[in-house]
Amino acid sequence: MYRVAAGDQDAFAILYDAIAPRAYGLIRRIVRDPALAEEVTQDALVEVWRTAYRFDKERGSAVGWILAIAHHRAVDRVRAEEAAADRERRAGTASVPFDEVIAEVTARLEQHAVRRCLRALTAIQREAILLAYYGGLTYRDVAERLGAALPTIKTRMRDGLIRLRDCLGVTLG
Amino acid sequence: MTDIHTLAGAYALNAIDHLERARFDRHLAECPSCATEVAELTETMAALSDATAEVAPAGLRAAVLARSAATPQTQRAVTRQTFRLPAVRWQRLVAAAAAVIALGGAGAVGYKIANHSVVVDNTRVSAENKQIATVLAAPDARLRSATATGGGQVTVVSSHSLNEAVAVLARLRSPGADHTYQLWVIGHGTPRSAGVLAAGSTGATELVSGVRGAQLIGVTREPAGGSRTPTQPLVAQLSLT
Repeated sequence: MYRVAAGDQDAFAILYDAIAPRAYGLIRRIVRDPALAEEVTQDALVEVWRTAYRFDKERGSAVGWILAIAHHRAVDRVRAEEAAADRERRAGTASVPFDEVIAEVTARLEQHAVRRCLRALTAIQREAILLAYYGGLTYRDVAERLGAALPTIKTRMRDGLIRLRDCLGVTLG
Repeated sequence: MTDIHTLAGAYALNAIDHLERARFDRHLAECPSCATEVAELTETMAALSDATAEVAPAGLRAAVLARSAATPQTQRAVTRQTFRLPAVRWQRLVAAAAAVIALGGAGAVGYKIANHSVVVDNTRVSAENKQIATVLAAPDARLRSATATGGGQVTVVSSHSLNEAVAVLARLRSPGADHTYQLWVIGHGTPRSAGVLAAGSTGATELVSGVRGAQLIGVTREPAGGSRTPTQPLVAQLSLT
């Protein structure tokens, strides 16, 4: 990352190879359309290049920093698209469902090493986290979808993430 | 535990709107243990990304590397008190045509923006200068200009096809030695910083990436070094649509 921040193009190419599958895979789940995912991934990774000096290893790994940028970009885009889709829906167009994406992600996570940790969460913690992260929903949208109170969802998201963090052994420093 | 602190999980998941994000950012600035918690929770979600990794499309690598080669990196404005682009200088022109015109000339390529001209000196050309010239020369380049609160002019030339814009800030009111002007790309989500001027600086030419889909380019006065999200009202805003 420090070579990238210093403007080293070769280092950025190496970083691209290491990170692109995870960034693209995450973004595609959120924006759902492969062509749009490609565009958003491109924007996100150019932002990584442009703002590489901001990376601070005291505040997490390079992968974590890059995926946070990727996630942010994808969520911004999906919310912008959905605001536009809402206008269309009022005019009679069908919305794009993302339940299939959530189900597919859940199935993949189930086959993965994180399975044990995900199973340690309560159903509402797990659903709230996955809907928000892969669905690009705000906690308000999640609360509405799950028919739960706002403070409950906020708390479940935080408690669930903390439990997941402890189970996966994620620490800084 | 304060009420706002329970937002740490939703914040790490990006599951909040940008007003709440701005509020929580202010909270994080004064709560180091909260910042650590958010960093750890963000890291936790990144740990799940192995499970959803997949081969990226074939053309993406070349596209990302080509764009990065043409994109200047943002510098740490706090430590580098000089703004990039020493080769760009200002001249008042007699004509005040709101158009982008290539002036040409030996060793320099000039562009006239509103009643200013930007001279890009080929003898000291940098990747950023080249990219600015590319945006100004784009067939779909669109120009907008606005007077800033307190005086001065902000001009934006944007190209949808290049997904980039050039923002020219000129003769703004002095922000004070410990303040700076900061550019923002404003869309439906959180405003994204598009560059921080040197502290006290009243003008600059800045290349702005990622304008496609955004609504506005805005300028605010911020504490020196810039802010993560705008903390002051816009002194100028220019439509990108």
